[in-house]
Amino acid sequence: MKRCFIILSAVLFLFTLVHAGEFQLDVKEYQLANGLKLLMVPRPGVPRVVCHIYYKVGSINERPGITGIAHVHEHMMFKGTKIMGVTDYEADHGLNQKIDELMKKIYREKYWKKNGDTHQIAAWEKEVEQLLKEEKKYIIKDHLWETYMKHGGTGLNASTSDEVTGYYVTLPSNKVELQMMLEADRMINAYFREFYSEKDVVMEERRLSENSPGYLFNEQVRAAFFIGSPYHWNVIGWMDDLKKMTKEDLVDFHNRYYVPNNAVAIYVGDFDAKMIISLAEKYFGPIPRGQDIEPIRTSVPAQNCEKRIYGEGPAPPQIAIWFHIPPEGDPDTYPLSLLASILSGDTGRLYKSLIKEKDMASMVSAFSRPQWYAGSFVVSARPKTEKGLKPDDLEAHLWEELEKVKKEGVTAEELQKAKNRYEASFIMSLQSPTGIASRFGRAELHRGWRSLQADLEALKKVTSDDIKAAATKYFVRNNSLTAIYRRSFGR
Amino acid sequence: MRRKLIVALLFGLILTSLALAQIKRPEELTFPPLKFEPPDPRQFRLSLTQGLRAYLQEDHSLPLVNLQAIIHCGDLYVPKDKTGLGSLFQQTLIKGGTKTREGSVVEDRLDFLGASLNFMMGERTSILSLSILSKDLEEGLELFFDVLMNPEFREESLKIAKGRMIEQLKTANDAPSAVLSREYERLLYGEHPLTYQPTKATIDALKREDLKAFHGQYFFPRNIILAAAGDFTKKSLIDRINKYVSRWANRSLTFPSIPKSFPEVEPGVYFIQKKINQGYVSIGHLGLEDTNPDYFAVQVMNFILGGGSFTSRITSKVRSDEGLAYNTGSRFSYRWGFPGTFSGYVQTKSSTVAYAISLILKEFDRIRQELVSDAEMETAINYYLESFSNFFSSPIATMANFAELEMQGKPWDYYKTYRDKIRNVTKEKVLEVAKKYIHPEKMVIMIVGDWEPCNQGDAKFPGPLSKLGQVHEITLRDPLTGEPIK
Repeated sequence: MKRCFIILSAVLFLFTLVHAGEFQLDVKEYQLANGLKLLMVPRPGVPRVVCHIYYKVGSINERPGITGIAHVHEHMMFKGTKIMGVTDYEADHGLNQKIDELMKKIYREKYWKKNGDTHQIAAWEKEVEQLLKEEKKYIIKDHLWETYMKHGGTGLNASTSDEVTGYYVTLPSNKVELQMMLEADRMINAYFREFYSEKDVVMEERRLSENSPGYLFNEQVRAAFFIGSPYHWNVIGWMDDLKKMTKEDLVDFHNRYYVPNNAVAIYVGDFDAKMIISLAEKYFGPIPRGQDIEPIRTSVPAQNCEKRIYGEGPAPPQIAIWFHIPPEGDPDTYPLSLLASILSGDTGRLYKSLIKEKDMASMVSAFSRPQWYAGSFVVSARPKTEKGLKPDDLEAHLWEELEKVKKEGVTAEELQKAKNRYEASFIMSLQSPTGIASRFGRAELHRGWRSLQADLEALKKVTSDDIKAAATKYFVRNNSLTAIYRRSFGR
Repeated sequence: MRRKLIVALLFGLILTSLALAQIKRPEELTFPPLKFEPPDPRQFRLSLTQGLRAYLQEDHSLPLVNLQAIIHCGDLYVPKDKTGLGSLFQQTLIKGGTKTREGSVVEDRLDFLGASLNFMMGERTSILSLSILSKDLEEGLELFFDVLMNPEFREESLKIAKGRMIEQLKTANDAPSAVLSREYERLLYGEHPLTYQPTKATIDALKREDLKAFHGQYFFPRNIILAAAGDFTKKSLIDRINKYVSRWANRSLTFPSIPKSFPEVEPGVYFIQKKINQGYVSIGHLGLEDTNPDYFAVQVMNFILGGGSFTSRITSKVRSDEGLAYNTGSRFSYRWGFPGTFSGYVQTKSSTVAYAISLILKEFDRIRQELVSDAEMETAINYYLESFSNFFSSPIATMANFAELEMQGKPWDYYKTYRDKIRNVTKEKVLEVAKKYIHPEKMVIMIVGDWEPCNQGDAKFPGPLSKLGQVHEITLRDPLTGEPIK
C-alpha cells in the first residue's frame, strides 16, 4: 500500500524555453508491481481519452529468418484471445491444434526439403481447408475491433516501428475501462487464430510497398548502410521470411516481449487519474511480471571505406548521401539535429544553394535520425531533369555545402533559428493528445519521458563550434554511403 | 498533512477498486452516463469590419495561436486554358512575396520565430493557415494579412514553382494508386473542370498577371471566413484584425457556372497496363452530394458494406476471411456542390484480382437485396453516436468546422441534429438507399495492373476478365503533353 503512494507521482512538467518562455504540462506517472508503467496527461475539455499502450519491441528485436515478425505479431493481436473472438474456446482450440500440426508438416515438406512431395502437400492443404471451414462456426470475426467501434472508438489502429509497437484507440471518457479490459486480455490471453490467412494479408502489404516507386531501391540502400545491426531490414521484413514464419515463432515472440514490465500505457484527455490507476490495478495488475529482457545486442562497426549503390526504376532520379551517426542521447546528436534543420526546408542552405541560386535541383532535404542504437544523417536532392541534369551532377554540390559547415560552422542567426524552430515545433506537437501519447509513450520506453526535456536543454547549449566539430567528425567519405537512383520505366 | 493526504488517497483507491466487481467480458461492462452537447456555432461567430466573418475561441492551455483564413476560391474556378494555375498559385502566394516584402523575407522571419504559414488550394475552398507562439502573434498577424491581401507573385518564385511542377508532372504515372484515382475520376466525370490536368504547355503559358487577376477576383473580406483558436484575448485579436481589414475593399463576384451533367459511362472492365505484382482496383460509379437528405442513411449503409473497417462486410470477407488484400472496402466520397464517387476498392496480387472483384460485387448485390442485421445496425449507429464528440477534438478544428459549415451554406443546427439523423436510420432505410445509390448494372471496374496474370486469374476465379464485363484498354497520357503514350 505504501509502495503505491510512493510510486504515484504527479509532475508538473515545467518547460523553460529560451524562445517560448515558460509553460507547464501535468504528467502523472504510476508503476504497477508487475512493472507496467502508467503515464497520464489530463486535458479537460471534450470528453474523450486517447488510450495508447506501447511495447518495447520492434523489428530490431528480430533476427535473420524471422524478419517481419514484430509486425506480423501486431496484426495477430487483433485476431482474438481465449475470451475474445470465439464462441467456444475449447472446441476452437482443438481444431487449431490440428491445423497447426498439419501446417507444421506442410512447412517441413515445402521449406525443409528441396523437392517436397507436392501430392502430399496438396492432400494436407485440403485437410487444413476443411478444418478452417469447421473452425469458422466458432469464430467471432474481428470481435475486438467491432467492440471498440461500437463504443465510439476512433483512431483505432496499431503500428510497428524498428523499436516500438503501439496499440491505439480513443474512447469516450466514460469507457476507458473497455480499453483496460481488452488490452490486458490480449497481453495475457492472446490466441493467434487465422494466422495463415493473416500472413497472406501481410504479404499483400509488402507487395503494396514494393509497388510504391523507389521502395525496392531504398530497401537495398538501408540494408547496405546498416550492417551488423538489425536496422538492416525494414519493419515489413523479407518476403521469404514472411512465407516461412511459423505459429511457434509467433508464440515465442509474444511470450518474450508482451509482458507488463516491457510496456507503458498512456492516457491523454478528460479523465480522473485515480480511476485510471484503479482500473489499471484491476485489469493489468494480476498479470505476472515477465523475465527481464536483455537489451538488444548490436553494433555498427566502423565502415572504413566509402560505399556506393546504384539503382534504377519508375521513380524520380535522386541522390542521397548517408552518414553513420551515434544514437539518441549522445552529445553529438544535438548539433547534428540543429544542422539538419539549418540545411533543410525552404529557408535552409540546400534550398538556397541548389534550387534558388544554382537552379540545379527540384527537391532537397536533410535529416538527422539518431534512433535508439544506430543513427543516420542523410542529405538528398533530385536533379532538375528539364535541364538535362542527372543525380550524379549534384553530388559535388551537396559535398560543397557539407564542407562549408566543416570549415566555417553556421551563423549565429541560423543557429538561433534552428533552436527556435525545434522548441516551437515541440510545443506545437503538444496540441494533439495523440501526439503527446506517441511522443511521451515512446520516449518512456527508452530513455524515460523526462529525456524530452533533457534534449531541449541540451539543444539550447549547442554552439557553432559544436556543429563544426560534429560535421568534421561524421561527414567523411569513409563514413558514407552514396545512393544514386535513375529513372527507368518498368522493372 | 502529508500522512492525511496519503490516507485519503489510499481510501479513495480502495473504494474505487471495490466498486469494480470482477468482470470477464466486455459485454458485461456497464458505463456511467456521459452527456455531451455540441457547441453552438453562433456563440463563436463574429461579423468584423468589411463583412469579414470569423469564428474565434480562446484557449490558453498552450502558448500558441492557430489562425486560418478560409477563402471561397479553388481549382474548380480556373479556366481550362489556365489549367495548373491553382497549383502555381498555391506554390507562390507566400514565396512570391508581398508589395513590401520579398517572399524569402516572409519565410525567413516566420521560420526564425518557429512559426508555420501554409497555403492550400482545394476544389472550391482555399486555406491560408498560421501557427505561431502567442508572444509573436502581433508580428505573425502582420505577415499573415500582408500575404493574404498584398501578394506580388514575383517572377523568381514563378520560375522555381513552374520548374517543380514540370518535374512533378513527370511522376504522374509512377504510382499505381495515383494513376487509378486520376483515371477513375476522369472516366466518371468525363472532360470537366473536376478532371482537367495541366501539361507543360499550360504551365509554361501561365503568367504573373494571371495569378494577380485570380487573387483580385476571389480574395476580399466578404469572400473569406476566419477561424482562430489559441492563447489570445478575443477583443484584442478582433481589434488587430479590424485594423488590417479596414483598408481592404470588397468586390462583386460572380462565380463561374460549372456544368453538373456528366457522361453516361459504358459499364465494363477498364484496364490500365502497368508491370507490377498487384492489381489496383476501383469498382463503382458516381455517388451523391452530402446535402442530400439520404446522406446519413448512406453513411450507415456504407459503414456496414465496406466503410466501417474490419466491422464491414467487404473487409471482413476479402481481407480477414480470404487474406486477399491489406486495403479493401468501399467508400462514398463527397465534394461541395457536386456528386462524389462511389467505389469498392482492393489491391491484391495479380492472380486474385478477378476473385477479389467477384467477392466485392457479391457484397454489392447482397446489401441491395437483404435487410442488414440488427447487430450490424447497432454497431454502425453506435459508432457514429459515440464518436460524435470527435468533431470537436480541438478548438481550432471546431472553429474551422463551423467556418466550413457556413461557407457551404449548411444549417446552424447541423451538429445539433446530427445524432438524431443517425438514430433515425432504420434497416429498411438502409436497404432503400442501397438500392437507390448502388447500381451494379452501371458499374465500371477499373484495374491498374499487369494484364497477363490479372486476366489469367486463379483456381477460384479463372479468367478471362471479360467474364466481368466488356474489357476496354485505357492508354495513359504523357503527362507533359496530355497526348496518349504510344
